Amino acid sequence: MYRSTRINLLILLLFSCIFITNANALVEPTPEFYVNDYANILSPETEKYIVEKSKELYRTDGTQIVVVTVPNLEGQSIEEYSLNLARYFGIGSKEKNNGLLLLLALEERESRVEVGTGLEGILPDGKTGRFQDQYMIPYFKDNDFDMGIRNGYNAFFNEIVKLNNLDLELTKLKGDEFFSGVESINIEHFLIDLLIGCTFGLVARFSDFFRKKISKIYIICGLILGLVLFYLKSFYFLFVIFNMVGFAIGRFSYFAPNIVFQLLNPNTYDFSGSSSSHSSSSSHSSHSSSSSHSSGGGGRFSGGGSSRKF
Amino acid sequence: MKKGTIIAIVVVAVVLILGGTLISGYNDLVEKNENVESKYSDISVQLERRTDLIPNLVSTVKGYMKHEEKVIESVTTARENLVNAKSLTDKAKANEELTVSLNNLIAVVENYPDLKANTNFINLQDELAGTENRIAVARKDYNDTVSTYNKAIKSFPKNILASMFNFEEKDYFEAKESANEVPNVSFNED
Repeated sequence: MYRSTRINLLILLLFSCIFITNANALVEPTPEFYVNDYANILSPETEKYIVEKSKELYRTDGTQIVVVTVPNLEGQSIEEYSLNLARYFGIGSKEKNNGLLLLLALEERESRVEVGTGLEGILPDGKTGRFQDQYMIPYFKDNDFDMGIRNGYNAFFNEIVKLNNLDLELTKLKGDEFFSGVESINIEHFLIDLLIGCTFGLVARFSDFFRKKISKIYIICGLILGLVLFYLKSFYFLFVIFNMVGFAIGRFSYFAPNIVFQLLNPNTYDFSGSSSSHSSSSSHSSHSSSSSHSSGGGGRFSGGGSSRKF
Repeated sequence: MKKGTIIAIVVVAVVLILGGTLISGYNDLVEKNENVESKYSDISVQLERRTDLIPNLVSTVKGYMKHEEKVIESVTTARENLVNAKSLTDKAKANEELTVSLNNLIAVVENYPDLKANTNFINLQDELAGTENRIAVARKDYNDTVSTYNKAIKSFPKNILASMFNFEEKDYFEAKESANEVPNVSFNED
């Protein structure tokens, strides 16, 4: 009697183990997100090239092209693996479902292009197969995976840009001159900035010695610095503005002590979660690191695409 | 007087709680039912896509394969069966049949190198493989939603609601055992 229940429990445990390993049989997205070279077959130049171009593409309308190479498929079929991976990464935006996954499995010598439902119109299965035959498979056959991936990536990139009429120049202007590097800044940085300004404001407010002169000097310096930075088209002028706002709160507001106390109270914030609005659509926890690397928008995949052996 | 108000409050509270669970339970069942319906329509869309691709394939293949009429015909009949299938199980069965006859066709194509290299054929084969994969995905997604739905209508508090409002158990999308024998029978006749 007892033994049978124990055996049942054991079987249950075993099954749950199988499920857990199945759920974990996928690779995790790297901080770069757009390139995940787990098979170690891509050159650093290619990786950098793909990340740059994918970022550029993402800025136009949220289209995401992700390259993944894996040493093996952990016993799954490539169709199964790539669909699970695409859904787990949440490639593409939730509204447009415009994600594309290029997957290469080294041991099995198979490749697959997984197309998000929003791109199926411009990239039908036949076309993805033809692109693989034309741009990737010939290189893969010669074991020149780096060139094959790069070439295939370019083909899909150009096709999407062309057929969706995406204007890369538009984002370049905005991206390169004004907001370049803005992705590396988090809302936390602005909050800290605000706090620093606020602290200065409070010091100026509560000490007689500083009250008169320091405020003026601080504000004038801030204005000049802000104007210069704005003229240089650096987005860092936003920091100056936040700092000034913080200063004003500290210096003039009667509620300042309360506000500062609230801002300083760590319980009011939860920085551990990702502060950006992107999160993976799947039930898995969203990527927990708080650094503002790119991540998937939760695009939908229904199994479109094509597979090849080489 | 005081006792009366207490009883009234208790009664109201019980009614509110019961009503709340009933309503939320009912809404939950409705939502799960909707999920199943939407996944079912996903399958139907992909099945239709598959049947739409077959005539193209047949006309491409016919030009190359003069002596393989039986194989081609079995694909066409399987397609007809899928188009005419009404119920879920019939569709699953017909879809399975079509897969078998298509695999036979693809196997025969191996003997025709010209056809194998034909870009139009490669294109069609990719489209068919993609559709087949989509059907597999849609089927898995559908079966998952059916499983949660069926569990919900059988588990304790909701099973009462389910029987009250006629939420019936749903079928999984799968070909029953007998389905695999049907194509064999038709081949034996030849």
